[in-house]
Amino acid sequence: MKKTRTRSIMVLLMTLAFFAGIIYHISNLWVHSAEWASIPENAHLSDSNGLEIAGTVYDRNGVVLAQSVDGKRVYNDDEAIRKACLHVVGDDTTNISTAIQTVYRSRLTDYNFIFGLGMPDTLKNGRNITLTIDSEVQKAAYEALGSYRGAVIVYNYKTGEIICMVSTPTYDPENVPSDIETNDEYEGAYINRAISASYPPGSTFKLVTSAAALNTIPDVEKRTYECTGSDIVAGKEINCFEPNGFIDFREALARSCNVYFAQLAVDIGKKDMTSQAEKMGFNSYIKFDEIESAKSVYNVSKASQNDLAWSGVGQYEVLETPINMAMISAAIANGGSPVNPYIIKDISLSSDSGQKEHGKTEGSQMMSGDIAKKLYDMMDYTVETNYGKSSFSDSLDVCAKTGTAEVDDEGDSHAWVTGFCKDEDCPLAFSVIVEHGNSGYSVAIPVASAVLNSAANQIRN
Amino acid sequence: MNDIIETISFILRLAAPFIAVITIILCFVSLRYGRRSEHALINLEDEEHEICYPVLFWENSIGRSRNSDIRINDATVSRDHAVLLRRDDGWFVTDTGSKSGVYVNGNLTEGRCPVYIGDKIAIGKSILTLRRADASSDIHQRQKRKPRESKTLPGSVLLSFITVYILVISAEAVINMGSLDVVIPAACFILLCWIFFALSKSMFKRKNFELESLALLLSGTGIVLCASHDSHQAIVQLAATAIGIFIFCFIIWFIEIPDRVMKWRLAISILAICLLGSTLALGTVQNGAKNWILLGPISVQPSEFAKIAYIFVGASTLDQLQTKKNLFGFIIVTGACVGLLFLMSDFGTAVIFFVTFLIIAFMRSGNIKTVILAVTAAVLGVLVILTVKPYIAERFKAWGHVWEYAADAGYQQVNTLIYSASGGLFGIGLSKGYLQNVFASESDLVFGLASEEMGLIIAVLFGVVIGGFMIYARTVTTRSRSTFYSIAACTAGGMLVFQAALNIFGVTDILPLTGVTLPFVSYGGSSMAACWGILAFIKAADERTYSGKKIKRHKERKKQNVSYRTQMSDTDTEEYIEV
Repeated sequence: MKKTRTRSIMVLLMTLAFFAGIIYHISNLWVHSAEWASIPENAHLSDSNGLEIAGTVYDRNGVVLAQSVDGKRVYNDDEAIRKACLHVVGDDTTNISTAIQTVYRSRLTDYNFIFGLGMPDTLKNGRNITLTIDSEVQKAAYEALGSYRGAVIVYNYKTGEIICMVSTPTYDPENVPSDIETNDEYEGAYINRAISASYPPGSTFKLVTSAAALNTIPDVEKRTYECTGSDIVAGKEINCFEPNGFIDFREALARSCNVYFAQLAVDIGKKDMTSQAEKMGFNSYIKFDEIESAKSVYNVSKASQNDLAWSGVGQYEVLETPINMAMISAAIANGGSPVNPYIIKDISLSSDSGQKEHGKTEGSQMMSGDIAKKLYDMMDYTVETNYGKSSFSDSLDVCAKTGTAEVDDEGDSHAWVTGFCKDEDCPLAFSVIVEHGNSGYSVAIPVASAVLNSAANQIRN
Repeated sequence: MNDIIETISFILRLAAPFIAVITIILCFVSLRYGRRSEHALINLEDEEHEICYPVLFWENSIGRSRNSDIRINDATVSRDHAVLLRRDDGWFVTDTGSKSGVYVNGNLTEGRCPVYIGDKIAIGKSILTLRRADASSDIHQRQKRKPRESKTLPGSVLLSFITVYILVISAEAVINMGSLDVVIPAACFILLCWIFFALSKSMFKRKNFELESLALLLSGTGIVLCASHDSHQAIVQLAATAIGIFIFCFIIWFIEIPDRVMKWRLAISILAICLLGSTLALGTVQNGAKNWILLGPISVQPSEFAKIAYIFVGASTLDQLQTKKNLFGFIIVTGACVGLLFLMSDFGTAVIFFVTFLIIAFMRSGNIKTVILAVTAAVLGVLVILTVKPYIAERFKAWGHVWEYAADAGYQQVNTLIYSASGGLFGIGLSKGYLQNVFASESDLVFGLASEEMGLIIAVLFGVVIGGFMIYARTVTTRSRSTFYSIAACTAGGMLVFQAALNIFGVTDILPLTGVTLPFVSYGGSSMAACWGILAFIKAADERTYSGKKIKRHKERKKQNVSYRTQMSDTDTEEYIEV
């Protein structure tokens, strides 16, 4: 019978495996339960998907963006603010995957693993969330974008607070259009374009190429070129918008000469271009708070030399997210390293009034302080000589770079602008994308200018 | 007012797992302390060499092999020389194909030969004298004299806990539902528990009630869970529990005498195959598997009962311990069963039969090669089937990707996960869940339903209890009356654990979803009744199960003053009384 006992170890092992499986299930549930429980298919979540007892979402000034009143989720009184803040705050559903009401739903509703959704409402204690965004600036950005699709992101490059993050098309979370899934007007309305969309960056990418050039090519600042409007680079023609004449490095950025930068990219080479781009946030996700952005992409591993040349001016297959672009400007303004952006100012129990300040975190270095200073001056010079300081408000000293990125063969293009304010009391980095805007200068700059004015007003007061 | 009701329901929900945990701990502690301590039943003395071999078990292999229960280090002894075994009517020795034979009092034995105290058994050059355990000065005997502290809890205590537990969860269901639908099934169940206990104590003279208590705890939870959704189901489940308890008692009675088991072996093999065959011939297809027979208003799943017969056939080895290594007949029965199940498209049960086969094959032969061979053959077989009938693989396509198939093949799993997460540790309250609206929520998805409504703790306790059955079955392997009981108990435990694993991990997307029931909990009359039948094998493995009756018999004999030649030592009898 001893033998039988020895052999029964096999069954014992099976039982242990069974217990291990149960432990695996428990840990799986532990990790995912908040996510699973807040899936809209969950019938326990009522029309407001569990938000009917959730905490309040405030903007930086204490303006209520979303709150629960009598078992119903209600949003700000102003329709324009509701629409402007939709992608940041979210709606009753979890369709907008990066919105606060999606990512932080379990905390807003006080979901926890111990009680699941089984806690009596009287014992629930949802959390309030205060955001860093300013609802007035949001509204200004929403109105400035008008009927365009696009996105605006503005953040404080000294502290990291996101002041404004708006994406269009948008809709009113209190009156979700019934044809939202079918009407072309709302195509992509669930996407926060400021963080979840990536676009060809066009000429704004010349900031990356410039940083790489300053890093790898000695005396690049003395390099000159006579631009006639087009030239052969790496075997194929590269065009400029207009002939730029006799230019040096600084002038090439200011006048945005494609031939000059295409040649630079070829001279820098794939390896150094890629390494600079990756240092500046390409090919990796940007994560702030618990929200993850899409990836900016710079991949020239299969590119021909001419493709590489085009990549130097932000074409070929280069893609960039608006938040990444704003962070590059922030790094230039901040001596080479950006302060990481964030949007959650505070999460507290509704019964707890104490405010805790979010810690500022420094991002990884994108370029040396020396290069940052040079790019800083070049962007300043660009505005001064090319766009004119008057394109922005007189009260703001803005450095910027525009881009007009071709998206199809018919010459249709997205309009970009990115940059920062030099003012000590208004340290804002920004980027604006206007889809099919066709001109960075005449379409994107006015949007940026309006938003910056509004933001400066709010900050300086 | 609503708030108060909600809060009371919440408090009851917190209390239920607490009581269940305590009950389960008490049961297992009681099982652990209630075992017989392993001391010698009799002794074999080698007077020439002055060696005393204590005989610890009811069946003992004697031989030179390291694994022998009684190891005689003598070159003239075969590796597996003989078996010394105890039956109701005394001790016997059986030659298990040794080279030099076994002699009792100088006569060569043939077949099973009775031996009495004082007899001399010659094995090789060693001559062993059978002695009473108290007649020798062996250390085991001194231990035995110490009065043993009995820590077994009376069944009435355990049952009281279960009663309170059932009352708590029923009260919660009543509050949540605002109706008294649960009251009748719950009351009937409590009554059934106490009748069962009374019978077990008075009629069968059993002193232990732990295993039954644990099974009742699970059955009761299942019944209340059913009652809070569909009172008709609860009645079915209640009736099935009663039938199950009857089967449980019947099987324990039937396998009491190992020789009777041997006699019926072939008949039962045929019965198992017939049960499955008849399903294939007469059955109706439900949910893609042809495993139901409709008998008027009652539908029966014969494959559930075939499981009992199968364990029975597999475990009934000859009393010549470890000598009949031939698994041929059993393999034929296995092949027939698994084949029929495949034809019925009942893959879950087919896999259960196959794993049970592996356990039995290994327990009987100890040969890991057999197991590997069988698994290889099975894998090849499955591959062939999948190539011939690729649509079978379709059924399992959602495995590991349930979220991608959330609308079709992964629907049940996804809902289980969503609602398990909603339930937390204590659940959202009986009848208040939404998983009940998903197909097969009371049977295949019962783990999820319990997680949602009663909380993860109670759901996990189902697994703990079933795993506990297995661990208990293993601890009694050397304390059973025959290897038949040991193997049957381990197999039964293994089968329950494996079935529970298929069920729990199937709905939580750890294994493919096969649609088998969770033992004792899932809704399903056949399954419930059969699980009690399987549990009988574990109960029977504990020698105490039959001891009560023997004391009775012993006393009767004394009363009648029938002179009988005691082959059992007096200490044996004394031990029964002690236990």
